[in-house]
Amino acid sequence: MATGVAKENWVERIRDPKIECMSKDEMTALQSKRLVDVVNRVYDHVEFYRKKMQDLGVEPGDVKGIEDIGKLPFTTKEDLRENYPFGLLAIPKKDVIRVQGTSGTTGKLTLASYSQKDVDVWGECVARCLTMAGLTDEDIIHVCYGYGLFTGGMGLDFGARALGAMAIPMSAGNTKRQMMCMEDFGATAFACTPSYALYLAESIQEAGLVDNMKIKVGIHGAEPWTEEMRKKIENILKINCFDIYGLCEITGPGVAQDCIYHAGLHIHHDHFYPEVLDPVTHEACADGETGELVFTTLSKEAMPLLRYRTKDLTSIDHSTCACGRTLPRISKFTGRTDDMKVIRGVNVFPTQVETALLSMGGAVAPHYLMIVDREDNLDVLTVMVEVDESMFSDEIRKLDALRNKIGTVLKQALGVSVKVKLVEPKTIQRSEGKAVRVIDNRNL
Amino acid sequence: MIQQLSVFVENQPGSIMRVTSELTDAKINIRAIASFDTPEFAILRLVVDQPERAKDDLTSKGFVVRLQKVISVELKDEKGNLNQMLEVLAKGGISINYIYSFVIRGDKAPVMVFNTDDYEKAEKVLKEAGVKLIDEADL
Repeated sequence: MATGVAKENWVERIRDPKIECMSKDEMTALQSKRLVDVVNRVYDHVEFYRKKMQDLGVEPGDVKGIEDIGKLPFTTKEDLRENYPFGLLAIPKKDVIRVQGTSGTTGKLTLASYSQKDVDVWGECVARCLTMAGLTDEDIIHVCYGYGLFTGGMGLDFGARALGAMAIPMSAGNTKRQMMCMEDFGATAFACTPSYALYLAESIQEAGLVDNMKIKVGIHGAEPWTEEMRKKIENILKINCFDIYGLCEITGPGVAQDCIYHAGLHIHHDHFYPEVLDPVTHEACADGETGELVFTTLSKEAMPLLRYRTKDLTSIDHSTCACGRTLPRISKFTGRTDDMKVIRGVNVFPTQVETALLSMGGAVAPHYLMIVDREDNLDVLTVMVEVDESMFSDEIRKLDALRNKIGTVLKQALGVSVKVKLVEPKTIQRSEGKAVRVIDNRNL
Repeated sequence: MIQQLSVFVENQPGSIMRVTSELTDAKINIRAIASFDTPEFAILRLVVDQPERAKDDLTSKGFVVRLQKVISVELKDEKGNLNQMLEVLAKGGISINYIYSFVIRGDKAPVMVFNTDDYEKAEKVLKEAGVKLIDEADL
């Protein structure tokens, strides 16, 4: 049996101390050099950026360093869609060695292209994250993110390869087989979405297999999750879990991850330059202020992006972390600008529902789905919650009381009334990519 | 006292059938079934021949199941017998959470099943009044 390591017994490993602990001045110089280079490359080779910069009256020579980044145009997801599939390439198509795409819930998918160097940088960044999670070339990493266009599976695979660890390319699905391989191969770490991690953890617990597993680390990302959810997975499996962040437009998982101090996610800003901006005024937020995360890829060859608006809401902290890294930290995501629902004028994020359900001390499983309807011109929020054995009562009045209690807790947390619907266990779909937490039936 | 199986089901066509078909596959005999509904979900209550095995089987198939102790009494099929039993409970201050009946095959009498918060007291007052309580073995 493996057990999670307490913070006081933790041995911090840093894969690339020169970069990860670099002084501000040195890093600024490196970023400036790379920014000037990328701006020249996109101006010369990507018509879209050349036009955008010309529209703003900006020439490559106007950008002398990272302090000039505010002069550059933004890129949005819509821009990527309009230039689908290969309109933003800055290198000849024959030098593209692979593509990855988003799980695109609406319309066409978003495609990202990679050169050999892009894939190497991606693997290196994931390897930094795995090292941050305490893993070495002796570890066995069970990857149950989906392999395919989705970046999760390949990203972790590239990271394991760069680290020299053993990767088990399980891909998603078939929980019984996942558990069997995890046990038989002696996996010491696993990587998947947090919602699937919880589902897998519960399945391992139900099967009485927790003590047979050698797992000590979980690497989870691709959807927002809460501290409470992390602790829940950690407690079931007796492991340390880490929050890995990324998006395929920028590279995939490995753009950022938290360390054992869980005080925000360290961004590899030598490759991905972060800005946190007010979503409306586009003014830079001060450290600690919440705004939209915007990335500029500093080293990407195939499809570099200038000031890509992620729609993820966060705040940034540039102070040196207790782990020793100077990589700035973004706070755990409060949500995405497009996940946020305005319900009767109140901003509601799915993560608030998760936090509220988990705050009920294990009485309620954090498997939920929010459904927003409009009835008689009034928004109605229904939250479907799965009934599990611990909360199930033989008596209707007790189930009704529980339902009312969940309703009260949610109303206090969200500030809007909520209709709670109890549903059968495992009827809410578990995600292998990003979990669907909200269905909005309003035609706004 | 006997063991009763309670299963959480949503109000949807086929939801009861999914439970009974699992039990059929597991070769479990259903002696009684009762369902109490709310607009969205229901609790399906069952008396079966092998309650522990039925619970394990349904749980492994993803159902939420509880085993619940319930009191069951045998009543002769005569006018006023149910009323008499309820009178005994009422006088004893026993509150009934829910009640349903079934008939065991053959020449045996109807069985009333009910759930209460105070089993010991309920059993005591029923025994004192001469009402016949039945156990799993009697089914």
